[in-house]
Amino acid sequence: MKKLLLLLMWLSPAIVYAQGFQVNLNGQKQIGMGHTGTGLLQDGASIAFNPGAMAMLPENYLQAGISPLWFKSGFNGAGTNDVAFTKNRVATPFNAYGVWGPKDARWKVGMGVYTPFGGLTDWGNNWQGKYVLESLDLKSIFFQPTVSYKLTDYLSVGAGFIYNYATVDLQRAIPITDPDGNTGQARLKGHGKGYGWNAGVFIKASPEFTIGLNYRSEVKTNIKNGDAMFSVANSAQPNFPQPNTFEAGIPLPQTASIGFGYTASPKLLLALDVNYVGWHSYKELAFDYASNTPTLQDTHSPRNYKDAYSVRGGAQYKTCDKMAVRLGGGYTTTAVKDEYVTPEVPDANRYYLTAGFGYKVTNKLDLDFSFEYEHLFSRTQTNIESNLSGTFKSNVYIPGVSLAYHW
Amino acid sequence: MKTLKNYLYISAALVLLAGCKPSFENPKANKGTADFTRYIAVGNSLTAGYADGGLYLEGQQNSYPSIIAKQMALVGGGKFTQPLFTEAQANGSGYLKLTGFTPTGSPITTTVTENTAVRDQISVPGFGNVILYTKYSGDINNYGVPGIKLQQIMYGPYGNLNGYFERLLPGAPPTNNTTYLDFVTAKDFTFFTDWLGNNDALGYATSGGAGDVLTDKTQFSQLYTLSIDKLTQKGAKGAVATIPDVTAIPYFNTVTVGAILAGVQKANPTVKDLYISARTSTDVNNIIYAPRAATAADLVVLTFPTSKIGQMVNSPAGMVPYGLTPYAPIDNQYVLDANEIALTKDYVTAYNTTIKTIAQQKGLAVFDAFTFLNDIKAHGILVDGVSANSNYISGGIFSLDGVHLTPRGYAIVANEYIRAINKTYNASIPTVNISNYRGVKFPN
Repeated sequence: MKKLLLLLMWLSPAIVYAQGFQVNLNGQKQIGMGHTGTGLLQDGASIAFNPGAMAMLPENYLQAGISPLWFKSGFNGAGTNDVAFTKNRVATPFNAYGVWGPKDARWKVGMGVYTPFGGLTDWGNNWQGKYVLESLDLKSIFFQPTVSYKLTDYLSVGAGFIYNYATVDLQRAIPITDPDGNTGQARLKGHGKGYGWNAGVFIKASPEFTIGLNYRSEVKTNIKNGDAMFSVANSAQPNFPQPNTFEAGIPLPQTASIGFGYTASPKLLLALDVNYVGWHSYKELAFDYASNTPTLQDTHSPRNYKDAYSVRGGAQYKTCDKMAVRLGGGYTTTAVKDEYVTPEVPDANRYYLTAGFGYKVTNKLDLDFSFEYEHLFSRTQTNIESNLSGTFKSNVYIPGVSLAYHW
Repeated sequence: MKTLKNYLYISAALVLLAGCKPSFENPKANKGTADFTRYIAVGNSLTAGYADGGLYLEGQQNSYPSIIAKQMALVGGGKFTQPLFTEAQANGSGYLKLTGFTPTGSPITTTVTENTAVRDQISVPGFGNVILYTKYSGDINNYGVPGIKLQQIMYGPYGNLNGYFERLLPGAPPTNNTTYLDFVTAKDFTFFTDWLGNNDALGYATSGGAGDVLTDKTQFSQLYTLSIDKLTQKGAKGAVATIPDVTAIPYFNTVTVGAILAGVQKANPTVKDLYISARTSTDVNNIIYAPRAATAADLVVLTFPTSKIGQMVNSPAGMVPYGLTPYAPIDNQYVLDANEIALTKDYVTAYNTTIKTIAQQKGLAVFDAFTFLNDIKAHGILVDGVSANSNYISGGIFSLDGVHLTPRGYAIVANEYIRAINKTYNASIPTVNISNYRGVKFPN
């Protein structure tokens, strides 16, 4: 008769990928220059930056790069002395492009494989916010076949179709204690797909001055039949039926960019990009479980993101025919409003500084290094959904290397 | 190529940088105007770390005074020693353990009886049986004695009547004649917490108004004044807590009249009412009980054996089903009826007025447990992604006895104390992470 309504506390899992999950690492030459490239003709990475520029590329390209990423974040609970740090795990955003067209043709075709979104945050299973999140590993790979056409000598256009393959692996603790004092564990693991497109226009306003316009559509990505694994004390397990699956949708946002390139001298190239990211489409995160119980309900977590903007600038100086040094930086506004900051990505306004070095191994082979440092401004928040209260501080360190073969 | 080499060196250096964590400069923790060199905790079962219907080692180790003391140590607080049970006798008095659920979802609890610290049981003439526990001799900072009322702190022979107090005293019954107040103040201290007074109302309430009496309001006020005077006599600062509304605890809100009735009606739809033996007046001196139909305003205790309902029992009207007619109402001891509730609430309000008034006069910090627990009952609480409330078992705050707290509940209380102390004494004792503390343990 002591009828127990076992409405155990179960907050919705919260995948949030913020601006921080927009991984602006689409080409090493571009990263070196503050990740500018919408208005430049650097290499095959134009497939991602501006498909419209592809037909203007003087050569064909086959290239690949990788940017191991260390996201170092710390959390200090409000009023406590305790500080938690993310574990030392490395995400590996990469990019690979192929661009081809006959010599002197007005068109080029290309294929890009790159990772514009993703994130890896691992706080471990014994920190203050473990019931909000232990770890999240989100990967998203865009496959983009692209065509570009040169309308005149000073104007070209291009567009590509995007197929996105995404994987997610989220873990968090459930506040149900077993006889040995262990907490329950939830793990949501799955993969999904989405579609979109990427188009752009490239203008050679003068021999020195170039302009690029780019729009990449929202890519609504759906995860179906993901594994929803819950492990709690046996007596509470019926509240979390196993096996179980989940469905979730992630609207990877649209972006619009305008970029300018200015060749100040044969040795010096300057670039400026302005981006808009349409995060406002991310209103809520919903998880639909195949088997529900009074404890395990479908969840709808408000996100209410706001659009984000960034300004980036960079320069490339050719110290000789074979070598180039690059510098750049930028500033990005956060997509996450106050009270919505979560440990998945403790997003905040950020600035970044980049450096790069290019070396022509042969006339046809470029070796490029890049390094990016990002600093997220300290953010003290109480989350509206979890009441997790404290200060997040994050720095990101991203070295990178690429090889480009061109002919 | 030289530049390339340099670049590689720089890259290597930068990658090493990648090991760098962001840094946090905690504001310098300070003790403010208080001195935590020797902190003592004065109180009853809640202070002792009592949980799941017993006092046992794990509960002691998660007592709110021990949590507070750990945090005080970060601002220069001294050593804090508790009268812990030994590992070999870790189960102390014995306690309740959740061992499963019935098919309808009702919890099954079992009493842990092995590895206890029970050393003897004596019979005190005119009082009853007293269970005695293995003596503790050594430093004490946590003076929490389960069961003690404010009303008893000046009573010399009390050490012969309460096994938890007897355990701390050197003498054996019936020779003990040290009052609780003298015992806790025998050694100098610089800071105290005082959470006495709960049992002055709770004893009456948990016995359904049948087995105990409410401490007289004037006597409460006198003893409270006396004890705070003595505690602050040598300049010690401290924090006190108010007495929770007894109706805010799951002990009174889990087995409800509606739930029992619904269970009966499933088998016998013609049953309209449960009958209880209810107090007819809220006048403390007018103790008359009469049978009447129960309403949702009457609270049934958690320990009521619901199987009694409907059993045929003798009555003035012959054999009748228990609890279903005015001739055999549910016994007084199982129900805190509406008038008893009103009476208890009136007393608790008066006690709390006393506590707050005296605390204000002495400049002490106040943790208003009354308001805090009522708020949790009404709205629940959400901390670090853990939502907790006053529900039995699933709420996470109250232990299996429905009165005392879980480690999570005690940690929440410790943080409230710390906030009150920080505010009053301009200190900055860090709070603890609630997510490190468990709720009820679920069986496998």
